[in-house]
Amino acid sequence: MARRAFLTFIVVLLLAIGMLPVLSMLARSVIVDGRLSLASYAGLLASSRQWSLMRNSMVLSCLVTALAVAVGVPLGILLGKTDLPFRRFFALLFVIPLLIPPYIVAVSWFDLLGREGLLMHLVGATAAGATARLLFGLPGCVFVLFSIFLPIPMLLTMIFLRTVNPRLEEAARLVSNWRGVMKGITIPIILPGVLLAAMLVFILTFGEFSVPNFLRYDVFPVESFTQFSAFYNFEAATAAAVPLAAVTLLVLLVEAAFLRKRTYQLRPFSESERLPPVELGARRTWLSACVGVAGLVIVVVPVVVLIVQSAGMDAYAEAMNRAGGSLLRSLLYAAIGATLLTVFGFFTGYLIQTKAFRCWRSVDSSTIFLLALPSTVIGIGLISLWNTPRTNLVYGTPVIIILGYLAKYTALTSRISVAQLAQIPPSMEEAAQVAGAGWFRRMGLIVAPLARRGLLSGWLVGYIFSLRDTGITMLVYPPGHETLPVRIFTLMANGSPDLIAALCVVMTAATLLPAGILWTIPNLLTRKVTG
Amino acid sequence: MSPRSICFVLSALIFVSCSKPQDTVVVYVSEDQVFSEPILRDFERETGIEVRAVYDTEEAKSTGAMNRLIAEKDNPQADVYWANEPIRAEVLKQKGISAPYVSPNAEDIPPEFRDPDGYWTGFSARVRVLVVNEGVEDGPGTILAYTDPRWEGRSVIANPLFGTTTAEIAALFVIWGDERAREFMAAMKRNRVAISTNNGESADFVAAGQYDFSLVDSDDAVNRMRQGRPVTMVYPDQEEGGMGCFVVPNAAVFIKGSPHPEAARRLIDYLLSGETERKLAFADCAQIPLHLGVQTPPELKPMSEIKVMRVDYADVARKMVEIQPFLKAWMGL
Repeated sequence: MARRAFLTFIVVLLLAIGMLPVLSMLARSVIVDGRLSLASYAGLLASSRQWSLMRNSMVLSCLVTALAVAVGVPLGILLGKTDLPFRRFFALLFVIPLLIPPYIVAVSWFDLLGREGLLMHLVGATAAGATARLLFGLPGCVFVLFSIFLPIPMLLTMIFLRTVNPRLEEAARLVSNWRGVMKGITIPIILPGVLLAAMLVFILTFGEFSVPNFLRYDVFPVESFTQFSAFYNFEAATAAAVPLAAVTLLVLLVEAAFLRKRTYQLRPFSESERLPPVELGARRTWLSACVGVAGLVIVVVPVVVLIVQSAGMDAYAEAMNRAGGSLLRSLLYAAIGATLLTVFGFFTGYLIQTKAFRCWRSVDSSTIFLLALPSTVIGIGLISLWNTPRTNLVYGTPVIIILGYLAKYTALTSRISVAQLAQIPPSMEEAAQVAGAGWFRRMGLIVAPLARRGLLSGWLVGYIFSLRDTGITMLVYPPGHETLPVRIFTLMANGSPDLIAALCVVMTAATLLPAGILWTIPNLLTRKVTG
Repeated sequence: MSPRSICFVLSALIFVSCSKPQDTVVVYVSEDQVFSEPILRDFERETGIEVRAVYDTEEAKSTGAMNRLIAEKDNPQADVYWANEPIRAEVLKQKGISAPYVSPNAEDIPPEFRDPDGYWTGFSARVRVLVVNEGVEDGPGTILAYTDPRWEGRSVIANPLFGTTTAEIAALFVIWGDERAREFMAAMKRNRVAISTNNGESADFVAAGQYDFSLVDSDDAVNRMRQGRPVTMVYPDQEEGGMGCFVVPNAAVFIKGSPHPEAARRLIDYLLSGETERKLAFADCAQIPLHLGVQTPPELKPMSEIKVMRVDYADVARKMVEIQPFLKAWMGL
């Protein structure tokens, strides 16, 4: 009874926080002056510009997805299946761009390749002009987003490789070399993971606003943001957001139809069960060099450029003077957001894993839908719902920012919880139940401690995504409560490049340092358990 | 973390955020944060009144803060709006979002730069000027150069759908009438004018020699000159009988239903002071003071020496809305 009541409460809360704003926004877009009107949608369909924006969004998403999968999957195989030197270091290195706000990566490339960037001092204005032309527009957007989302197929490939039954590969090795085994056994088995990665990269690129906006490539999310921010046309902004939601929904339906069962059955084999890494032999060195060069270009160069651009303590002193408060606020809101996300994610994950309600699939789909929905849409929805004198306690305070985080990122912590809970034998909880422990005690004393590694990972992921959030926060932050990413955005208008670069370095450090510290905790816990 | 601790943290957060001491003022700012924030900090330091600000982003094209005010009409959060031009202040007046307040510091600001009913008051202005590459001999002295065949393919202008360029084109429609203004726009297009995303980019194009001249804000031109870039600044249409430069003052607006009215009035008084104008003149935004006798940096002429375009900002605001479809069509959207 307690379980049912509490999980119902969680579901209702999730719907109220996440789905209600979106529904409210949709309602507002079709009810004009108290009457049903589809004028905004008619205007949208009639405009050729919208079709061109949609085409741009699709082209960008397809190119980034294709490139990220084409590079990420082989990279994941190299790092997860072979004896490539420094493979753990490389895996961590390539993850860095995913952890920092996307537009910071774009700013860094601009500082290097822009018309007056560092490259101009090295190769002259003509060559720099050519690279600037490439950076601004489709090629630049594709490259920057590719470097940001590359870790997704790489990591998923590495994770799915651990789920391949070693006996199958061992049997195949008797009749074939590794190339044949990979082709005939391993890759077909990890294909759902590759498709899941492709889907994630596609919807994340499709909803991405900050990079295309910065690099002046018109896409649909920019249109929705502009309609809202520049013209404050709620109806047009919503109408412009609906195609985004429709495409997201379509991709999720594909995922539900083809991938859901496969991805939930993740049962990684332990280190001792797995086959030894594939020996690369003579190719080991040059493959390692190739991966190293790729890491240098994709990760090290942009970070170094920011550091070079911000050189000098003056820029950092100015950055802290101007944005010290924003940094503290960012850390506070991200910590609160991460904690709430962990709690919500844990219980929704529990609901999904145990199939506690018949609607478990709808709950899961709703969280994923909100994750995939562009931030602009959620932000507009939150304003539409909470901007009233009676709800000032929410709208006029940072609570609105926290609600945004919960609406957008619960899917991440929920999925992590599902994966962790799947590894806890149900008999543990059942034994406690037989011994007379109530549901809350079972959760507090049995399930949560066993899932502590997942809870920590969930908190970390929630923290990183809350900290780097720009789309929602920029639209809803109350006066005087801007976060660091928002402050960087507002200072970009005529702010000096060294100040912006210094702020970007501070932002990157604020993300990576706590992430680095907390990353080690689950590993220490694992070592303690296995040791 | 237990549910009880979460409730505690949330309650603390709400409490801290909701406490509205009288010594607080909420201001929405369209002027670039990098220039406006130091002024607001000085105000905090000098008065002890805490300033909570919402700044615009470049992406919102300086209209995000105004639009947020419109959305919050029935639930005002702001006390003051610091607009970076008077047109949006006029829009707020027309929509019933602002309230009149005549500051004692507004007395010697010329009447053409303030609303007669006190709904907004101008201060620290930008002037629309021509930025011209130093390599160009016998450069243009009028905005009509955009239609002169001599400059075919050699001029650039910022996207007329946004910012001060929209305002100036609307002002031309008001002064010349629709027919002549439309013909000017068509001739400009025939003369193969290039379109940039903003005034800063236009000035950079001219500095790089990609184009010969552009109509930009005076701060864009002064910035490039201070950076040692090869450009000069020309105040257009200054000859006898010429229509003069379009002036774009900042505007301080008092918000109707302001939660902190007393602090709001003090902030407006502060913004309209000669001292604030002096600071903005010597900052990188290089804005021209409207008070008589306030010092200006050497790159700029005092307002008294500039021939100013005589136009009613209320008419410009109305015209700006009216010509939006024309401008969209002109841009091919």
